[in-house]
Amino acid sequence: MNTLLSLADNLRTFWSYTGFFNAEIGHIIMILVGLVFIYLAITKEYEPLLLIPIGFGILVGNIPFNEAANLQVGIYEEGSVLNILYQGVVKGWYPPLIFLGIGAMTDFSALIANPKLILIGAAAQFGIFGAYIIALQMGFAPNEAGAIGIIGGADGPTAIFTTSKLAPHLLGAVAISAYSYMALVPVIQPPFMRLLTTKKERVIRMKSPRVVSQTEKILFPIMGLLLTAFLVPSGLPLLGMLFFGNLLKESGVTRRLAETARGPLIDTITILLGFTVGASTQATTFLRVESIKVFAIGALSFVIATCAGIFFVKMLNLFLSKEKKINPLIGNAGVSAVPDSARISQIIGLEYDPANYLLMHAMGPNVAGVIGSAVAAGILLGFLY
Amino acid sequence: MRFFKRLSYLFITVALFAACSDKKENPNWVINEVMVVNETNFVDDFGQRNGWIEIYNNTSKTQDLGGRYLTNDRNNPKKYPIPRGDVLTSIKPHQHAIFFADDRPFNGTFHLNFVLDPTRENYIALYENDGKTLLDEIVIPAGMKADQTYGFAQDGVKFDENGNITAIDLERVTPSSNNAVLEENPKVVSLEETDPLGGLLTITSMLVVFFGLIALYFFFKLSGNIAKNMSQQKVAQTGTLSAARSQSHLSGEVLAAISAAINELKEDQHDIESTILTINQVKRNFSPWNTKRQSLRELPR
Repeated sequence: MNTLLSLADNLRTFWSYTGFFNAEIGHIIMILVGLVFIYLAITKEYEPLLLIPIGFGILVGNIPFNEAANLQVGIYEEGSVLNILYQGVVKGWYPPLIFLGIGAMTDFSALIANPKLILIGAAAQFGIFGAYIIALQMGFAPNEAGAIGIIGGADGPTAIFTTSKLAPHLLGAVAISAYSYMALVPVIQPPFMRLLTTKKERVIRMKSPRVVSQTEKILFPIMGLLLTAFLVPSGLPLLGMLFFGNLLKESGVTRRLAETARGPLIDTITILLGFTVGASTQATTFLRVESIKVFAIGALSFVIATCAGIFFVKMLNLFLSKEKKINPLIGNAGVSAVPDSARISQIIGLEYDPANYLLMHAMGPNVAGVIGSAVAAGILLGFLY
Repeated sequence: MRFFKRLSYLFITVALFAACSDKKENPNWVINEVMVVNETNFVDDFGQRNGWIEIYNNTSKTQDLGGRYLTNDRNNPKKYPIPRGDVLTSIKPHQHAIFFADDRPFNGTFHLNFVLDPTRENYIALYENDGKTLLDEIVIPAGMKADQTYGFAQDGVKFDENGNITAIDLERVTPSSNNAVLEENPKVVSLEETDPLGGLLTITSMLVVFFGLIALYFFFKLSGNIAKNMSQQKVAQTGTLSAARSQSHLSGEVLAAISAAINELKEDQHDIESTILTINQVKRNFSPWNTKRQSLRELPR
């Protein structure tokens, strides 16, 4: 009899450790969110490289367990494996490594050939500060508002880096929001691009960019770093690694390093970053009203950034001669979701003129957006950290 | 060449501008807070109350005080050599170390061989390992009250914007901890007061973003023009298609169309039948990277 009682006791204890026993409605909701991410990544191919690790990370992070038992498995339990991997997010060293890879894979030729496109990348940063203002009005403190605003930069690594410094408690919500909306760029941007442009503007053909010399390509990362980092030293980790990666690519003598940076390194960091960000959305810390507000403001910030880019091009066109006019459909590319937003410009442009290829033009503001959002992040850190 | 000259002028100007700044730098080690008369305050490990000197590591890296010198005598910089090899003298970034001015150096590393005298000015200095390079110094005015400290309102901030020393009688005695207790981020608090709507920060930030990217725009506009001129001059001498392009300013598409047309014309004129087969030898060079054998594990014999 005693044996049976002990057995029942053991089973009861074991049951208290299982996920079934500890599950709450929040866990189930988050697991469903993770499954939606995986579904979108596989069937719709929305940013699969990000959504698969994040989606699966959400599943892992929301397996319920007995937190009081100190099992050292949760991402927020100091010393656990997940916690160690998460340090790259918390301490902010994954994002600069991602930027190294981005620099090593980005061709800035379009920007160098037509430097006025840089300004579109600057205009799109209104998304960040528009969202900052809205977040303040919704009751967030300035540092939290800055972290939420950075979603408008449409740059996951920048958003994570900035939030880990300004408002670490919002890291999960901001990261998931930034990556989700980056994946949803093909859904968010086109309606506003159509709404804000006339038929005549959409068929503007731009002069093909000139060929850029090797010297100019080498000068770009060096001068880009000096000009931007001197202005905003707080953005140094991001700007430094971005331009360093680009120099590895353009110097022509460090091909192996460039290939590692844009290949195995960025892939490894993307896996770790995506997975741990996903896992950080543990229902107990993630499912709050604040997170919903962050998502709402995040969506608005993408809209503001898209509209600001398009309006800026339209304004710029007022001062440009007929043959130098810019197609406002590339204005959306000022948000730095590389290369998706540039691809959207191309797709929408082709709808109205099947022989008008806007991709190479849109890549200019697109990569300028990367620089612009890193600069904006630096400014926010300077003011609020 | 002229471009590089301009570039170097720009760098020299920036460097001079930076070098001309007369802003005084706060030292890496700061004698941060000093108590001359200790009646009811901080007690040392031996249960004694003595005057004390707080030294602050004003850098973002761990620094070791071991081997440096503390003195209260202008003529004797090496008066108290801080012992080497004590792990406790390794001070973390922006942290403090307390030295007791009790004239009992045999009590341990942090017990000095001098005392502070409230009846006169107390000069205190910290010297580098060579005993010559001054790291920091402070003069405590005579007549300090009991349990009153003298130092800097904010840790490590020795000079104000005009380069004046900011040492004062401190309101609170804070041995081994921050002189200013920050409950909130002062930047955030100030923004909440001065810019509740966020408009000012937005305008400032957008100006900075635009300024940074406009600077890039001008640089690449300039370098682009120079590169264009140089490449035009270079190819103009070669007489190639690129030379024609650079001189005629025809767009790439037009030139591509012309080239395609010329190519088509040449193809049409050929007298070789297109049914002739050419067989080339297909050769695959051996490389350990593409051999299957190298990637298979061999069975143990």
